Amino acid sequence: MLVRRDHDTALRRWFQEDIFYMARFSQKVQDVLDQAADIKNRGKVDLSWMKANPAGWGARAKPRDDRGLGLEDLNLIGGAYGTVPDTGHSHGSMAPRGCEVPANTPSLGCYDINDKSLVWADNVALLYDEAVARQWSSARDVPWDQLTPLPDDLERAMCQLCTTLTEVEFIAADMPAKWMWHINHDFHEVKCFLATQIIDEARHLDVFRKRALANGGGLLKASPANEQVLRAIIEAPDYTTASSLMHILAEGFVLTLFRNGEMLAQNEVEKRIFRLCMQDEARHVAYGTMHLKYFLEKRPERAEQIHAILAAGEEAIFALSLEAQTAEPRAILAGGGVDRIMEGFAKLGYLYTKQVKEYLHRLKVAGLDRSSRIAIPVELPN
Amino acid sequence: MLFPSTEWFSTLAKEANANSERFRLLGTVDITLVAKIDYPGSSKYFEIVFAGYRCLGVKELPRLESASKGAVILEGSADTWRTMIDNIQRNGKADLTQTLNTLTLFDTPMRVSAENQLDTDLFYRYQQNLQEFFDAAAKTRTEFATAQAQHSMQ
Repeated sequence: MLVRRDHDTALRRWFQEDIFYMARFSQKVQDVLDQAADIKNRGKVDLSWMKANPAGWGARAKPRDDRGLGLEDLNLIGGAYGTVPDTGHSHGSMAPRGCEVPANTPSLGCYDINDKSLVWADNVALLYDEAVARQWSSARDVPWDQLTPLPDDLERAMCQLCTTLTEVEFIAADMPAKWMWHINHDFHEVKCFLATQIIDEARHLDVFRKRALANGGGLLKASPANEQVLRAIIEAPDYTTASSLMHILAEGFVLTLFRNGEMLAQNEVEKRIFRLCMQDEARHVAYGTMHLKYFLEKRPERAEQIHAILAAGEEAIFALSLEAQTAEPRAILAGGGVDRIMEGFAKLGYLYTKQVKEYLHRLKVAGLDRSSRIAIPVELPN
Repeated sequence: MLFPSTEWFSTLAKEANANSERFRLLGTVDITLVAKIDYPGSSKYFEIVFAGYRCLGVKELPRLESASKGAVILEGSADTWRTMIDNIQRNGKADLTQTLNTLTLFDTPMRVSAENQLDTDLFYRYQQNLQEFFDAAAKTRTEFATAQAQHSMQ
């Protein structure tokens, strides 16, 4: 009570001692203080916000099932809340979709991706809900105590693979970060999903770094060829070309790489790491594929542009298949040792074909047939 | 309990639903998986439906064409299924060589497929849940139907 009384006394003095705030604060601050004095001394409150947005009052979103109330469930309401506009509102602010936006709301001046077709995917709200429900922790959910010493060649190969993955994974955070603040706030589902992708990739960076540093090895050699792919993604001229390169081509290939990593795992620690990363990656690929599908349905004339950027990306990724620090560690792990590296290369050849075929099938789902136009061989020479 | 049978797969489903805390931690799953067990000259099909945090049910299908739209097919010979289940029972869960991903990556000895690639990708997207679903076979006493018995049941 003593504290409360002291506080009241201080507040009274604060309002009474005009000279205190008149002398110290700007006109803008004084206006607020005058308003505060009106509220306190005359009970002058506005309350007009209580009558705002009458058409939007009475919403009762309900969860579909025991998974809880998802973002997708809110869209089932329809109307201004659930209908995603083809063109985002022009107020340029962060005002939430469906609310009343006062005329004097300032634009943030940064939202210039205002066309839904440039970012949307019909599965994006569901993917966001799933991503939130399926977060995992690289500290808690990987049984680090089960890590055991490996033969030197296998440890070096695993550490090199982890070096590469630590290097490449965060592109899938940097790329969304580059575009998110351009995306109109009416497409919040896309922004929320991309935010989950950023935390996914942070976790991938950290878990592979942890594995490299946790078993007597360390980080080995960075990959110039990978940097070429990453550069193509970050320099892509617009969001959809960047997404096609990253979500479908690069992450599709990495998805198979994670599957491969799970199979090559030497212990339960690596099994779990690759399996959990694989799950996240498949979610990102699902968004990218469905975004491209939506985009091409609305803008079929842009198909050639997507073909061109994918052709460049395919060539850059193909160059990786011969880079020593990228290919050889996987071959050593697949063969079971440096002395069996050629057996490993033979196994990787099969996986390369699988990678390419799955990539082509995803593009087909998206409505882009590259089977006759792919810039790289579907099978590696024996 | 006889493998393969609706009862056997339903036991795994009950185990998953009873272990709800674990499955809530792993996250939501939305996939219809068809386990296809191949015998010489015949196959058995069991459709397992997952939605949200639960396995909704299991049913035997008369033929693959009866599977729900978007179903993901996990297929292998009866011997392969038996080796996997024996391994799970011996180790308490699949060891490094017998995980679902390892068995399917090279399309042999098991194979995963669906009508379109995005559906196939669901198998990768929910891999940990599916692995733990089948790892529950460690707690299920299992007898294996012989090829001959399967043939006579057709």
